[in-house]
Amino acid sequence: MKCKAVHSKLIFFLERELPEPEMKAVQEHLAACPECALFAEEMKKTLSILETEKVSEVNPYFYTRVKAKLDRQSEIQPSGIRSSVLARVLQPVAFSIILILGIYGGVKMGATGAKTASTFTAEQEMVPYLNDMDVEPLETFLME
Amino acid sequence: MSDQEIIEQLKQGSEAAFRKLVEGHQKLVVNTCFGLVHNREDAEDIAQDVFIEVYRSIQQFRADSKLSTWLYRISVNRSLNHIRDNKKHKWFQSFEKDVEARNRQILQVESSPTDHPGFEMENKQRAAILQEAINSLPENQKVAFSLNKYEDLSYQEISEVMEMSVSSVESLLFRAKKNLQKKLYKCYKKKCM
Repeated sequence: MKCKAVHSKLIFFLERELPEPEMKAVQEHLAACPECALFAEEMKKTLSILETEKVSEVNPYFYTRVKAKLDRQSEIQPSGIRSSVLARVLQPVAFSIILILGIYGGVKMGATGAKTASTFTAEQEMVPYLNDMDVEPLETFLME
Repeated sequence: MSDQEIIEQLKQGSEAAFRKLVEGHQKLVVNTCFGLVHNREDAEDIAQDVFIEVYRSIQQFRADSKLSTWLYRISVNRSLNHIRDNKKHKWFQSFEKDVEARNRQILQVESSPTDHPGFEMENKQRAAILQEAINSLPENQKVAFSLNKYEDLSYQEISEVMEMSVSSVESLLFRAKKNLQKKLYKCYKKKCM
């Protein structure tokens, strides 16, 4: 068995999940190859951490903490419901009212603007100047 | 008191039954959460929330599955949510804070009282490498692997918790181990373990 093949089977070898002939082949390779044997040893040490990490002792205050958290949440819940109602219903209603008022105000302002625009045409704006010229000819103005 | 009796009494609001449930299954829940989040304090916090959820939704529990299977499922879901939330927070966490946290961790390791500081340090490093390798696995592989390793669940039990076939669990675990081996080999080559 080659080193590459051993590397791909090492974790299964360490977990004893390989068929018997393969277990034997890997074992023989490790006995003859110090490089692979070293990696196998490192891997074994690293995987053994899993065993040491398991929770072996229980926290004696765990139930007290769960109960305290549960009670705290039960106390907070009524005001929590109120705040969620506020957030879910009142806020959108308030925003909708502001939006409608904004649109209404915009439409109203637009309408008054349109009215004034229709009364003042460009032609009418020129009339005073033309009339002024009628009343006071340019020659008279220059003479003065 | 059997699980069935605990459930029945819990449905009637018995505090004693809740205490029995917590004390009897505390290790199972904390271990499952720890296998996924790799932090003792976080695991205990999540475990507390798991029991609170069980207390609140006990009326919806039907005897289709075992109580332990239900506890495993809630623990896994809550732990995965915690990991996802943490990932989101990390996006906003500054690099300096990250470095600070790492330095604090190293200082804790160096100042931990032990007879063999070198050995302790090596073990902590190994644990960190292993955790990183496990965390980099796809979610399903990570769940199957941690249930198998931290809780010693059989393929059949994992398939019930994850609601998939036994052959799918077999395939998940096979791929998880392959990936883990690949990552550990890369690390070994880079001389980080």
